[in-house]
Amino acid sequence: MDIRSQISMVFHLDKCIGCHTCSIACKNIWTDRKGTEYMWWNNVETKPGTGFPTRWEDQDKYKGGWEVVKGELELRSTNKTKTITNIFHNPNMPTLDDYYEPWTYKYKDLFDSPEGDDQPTARPISMVTGEEMDIEAGPNWDDDLAGSPIYAENDINLDGLSEEQREQMFAIERLMMFYFPRICNHCLNPSCVASCPSGALYKRGEDGIVLLDQEECRAWRSCIPACPYKKTYFNWNTGKSEKCILCFPRVETGQAPACFHSCVGRIRYLGVLLYDAKKIEETAKFPDEELVDAQREMILDPFDENVIREAKKNGIADSTIEAAQKSPVYKFVKEWGLALPPHIEYRTLPMLFYVPPMLPVMSAQEGDSVRNVNEEFFPDFDKARAPIKYLAKMFGGGNESHLRYVLKKQSAIRAYRRAETVGDIEKIDADKALLEADCTAAEAEGIYQLTSLCTFEDRFVIPAAHREEAIEMMKDPLEHKQETGFGFRDEPERGW
Amino acid sequence: MKKVFSINTIILVTLFIGVHSLLFSQSDPEEFFEKNCFSCHTIGGGRLTGPDLKDVEKRKDPAWLEKFILTPQSVINSGDVYASKILKEARGVVMPKVANLDPSMTRALLKFIREESGKEKSRFAGSTLADRPLTEEDYKIGNALFIGTKRLKNKGPSCISCHEIAGEGLLGGGLLGPDLTEAYGRLGGKTAVAAWLSNPSSEMMSPIYKKHPIDEEEVLPLVALLKSKAEGKEMISDAHDFNFMIFGFIGLALCLVLFDLAWWNRLRAVRKPMVKGELS
Repeated sequence: MDIRSQISMVFHLDKCIGCHTCSIACKNIWTDRKGTEYMWWNNVETKPGTGFPTRWEDQDKYKGGWEVVKGELELRSTNKTKTITNIFHNPNMPTLDDYYEPWTYKYKDLFDSPEGDDQPTARPISMVTGEEMDIEAGPNWDDDLAGSPIYAENDINLDGLSEEQREQMFAIERLMMFYFPRICNHCLNPSCVASCPSGALYKRGEDGIVLLDQEECRAWRSCIPACPYKKTYFNWNTGKSEKCILCFPRVETGQAPACFHSCVGRIRYLGVLLYDAKKIEETAKFPDEELVDAQREMILDPFDENVIREAKKNGIADSTIEAAQKSPVYKFVKEWGLALPPHIEYRTLPMLFYVPPMLPVMSAQEGDSVRNVNEEFFPDFDKARAPIKYLAKMFGGGNESHLRYVLKKQSAIRAYRRAETVGDIEKIDADKALLEADCTAAEAEGIYQLTSLCTFEDRFVIPAAHREEAIEMMKDPLEHKQETGFGFRDEPERGW
Repeated sequence: MKKVFSINTIILVTLFIGVHSLLFSQSDPEEFFEKNCFSCHTIGGGRLTGPDLKDVEKRKDPAWLEKFILTPQSVINSGDVYASKILKEARGVVMPKVANLDPSMTRALLKFIREESGKEKSRFAGSTLADRPLTEEDYKIGNALFIGTKRLKNKGPSCISCHEIAGEGLLGGGLLGPDLTEAYGRLGGKTAVAAWLSNPSSEMMSPIYKKHPIDEEEVLPLVALLKSKAEGKEMISDAHDFNFMIFGFIGLALCLVLFDLAWWNRLRAVRKPMVKGELS
């Protein structure tokens, strides 16, 4: 075993209200510089929808992630030969238009315009060229318009749905939608790192945060097609790529990353996972449907004596192991099996997990009237607004059983809580539901607590950073002992 | 870091060996004369391109000679009367600055010339080339050698890679060396040209043709070519420059087409085709 620790995340999609506060928190801190206007290290997408950049999930176009060729993992976008032949132009990058042309408005015109018959307007101007422009697209174009005939219907996750399923989705007056907030997944098998010809990208040893060294980056832009989630961005001003850094300066000082901290719906959880790094390659080669289980298999029980011993042997600090034992992510992913990785079929082994949303059908249109179609609160999931197949494509590597398991458990917990607090469900029915959903009362209570009543400390269990140990590897921390501590603007003549 | 060190060391050693061999390999004035002077000068054999050097010290004092040999152009530029005279005799051909020549070698050369002048017949009294008449066949071979359709026997580069000559080559020839259309007359006729070709000693040509000399049998055909060109009426035309430009444009266009084909399947855009309903 080669045990390492990873700061990982869970986003609870049932709680996301799509307010984009996370995106704004991130933008204000990290990407309001020149050259980064179009970047959204954190973005929120409406699903079904094409996302940001447009149709990023279409790897036939963008060639992101890994594929298994003759039993070996290979990058889709590049290899040693292609690195040379495509060194001046990566052919599978999104264009600026596929992201969107960032804009602002000429607000000054509102105040400075001469008096006239009409109200002055603030015309949009491009933040790239500074010239007036027509806004054609944005980072979440058609936000909240899940039925939009262009952006929603071109969602690639809808491919493979039967005509009937598609009709089902769109028949109910196109009501189905949910939000999908995304940051860098800080993958275990990051394709961006693998693709970089300069070795500028690396996965930080102590907490697995994937970073991009601004001094090493040589603007080859290999990471941009290679990342299947399109979470590395090229800064046209500095000529360097940039990406989400999981607010590591905040994490190192015990604070939650800005997007986590500011989350209004409190959908975000952050904690440590211990995993076996020896299994990465083997795991990434599993068939699509088995990937979710295989990745869970890599994540180790932080209470297991053997795991603790091996972790210590690998230099993992006691405080990190303690944090792993309290980790809300461990509970959601491993103990309860509620959180699932996004598009694990890209084989980068993302370490950001999602609790998929429940979208039960409550009413349907019949003729001109809308009628309640369900007496039960959480009926057959196969009739839910989001077809299981659709969700399975996003979160299960195509395997529907994981989605069924998660949705069933969530609905059982709701039934259980309803029996407890409202009383319109019989206790015996609730218990039966729990039993069917592979859940005990204690577990249901735990899930309920962490979902609904979670405090700041419950959601974010941030281990002490131990940067001093990392620095020790590079230089002697006592290098300046007995030398400094007191400075002079002008050196005293006698020296110091 | 260690690796860089060893590469640097190898480079330094190689450089040192190279410089060392350059500095010390030509320490013999006789060898130096043969390689660098004999193409234009004889000792007691009459003038070629440059004057016969027999008893040169009787004509001019050693200090002047040393200065002229080291820096011919600047002595001429200084308005020296004798220098202007010999320049005129050489029909305006300025003696090239000789590569790797230093004051001590110059003195050794002068001493060597003095010694050779004392001999009854110096081995540098004249060219050893067969003095046969030039034929039409010679011209044809010379032409082939010049434009490179026939390779020089000792693998030296063909003339056209650096020189232009009237009427040869669609794009003209190289522009590094001078136009050779008039070279025959300029150098002073058959013997002088032949001597030059057997041992080209300009700064540019000498290092190249020392390693890959022009074969004796190739000299006369080239002389024949140069002679015929000098006698012809044809001059270098400006059309070559124009042709060159046109070829450049065609080449560029071909390259662009080629690149476009090679990267035909590149991702051009996603959103716009999607909005237009043209997404494949």
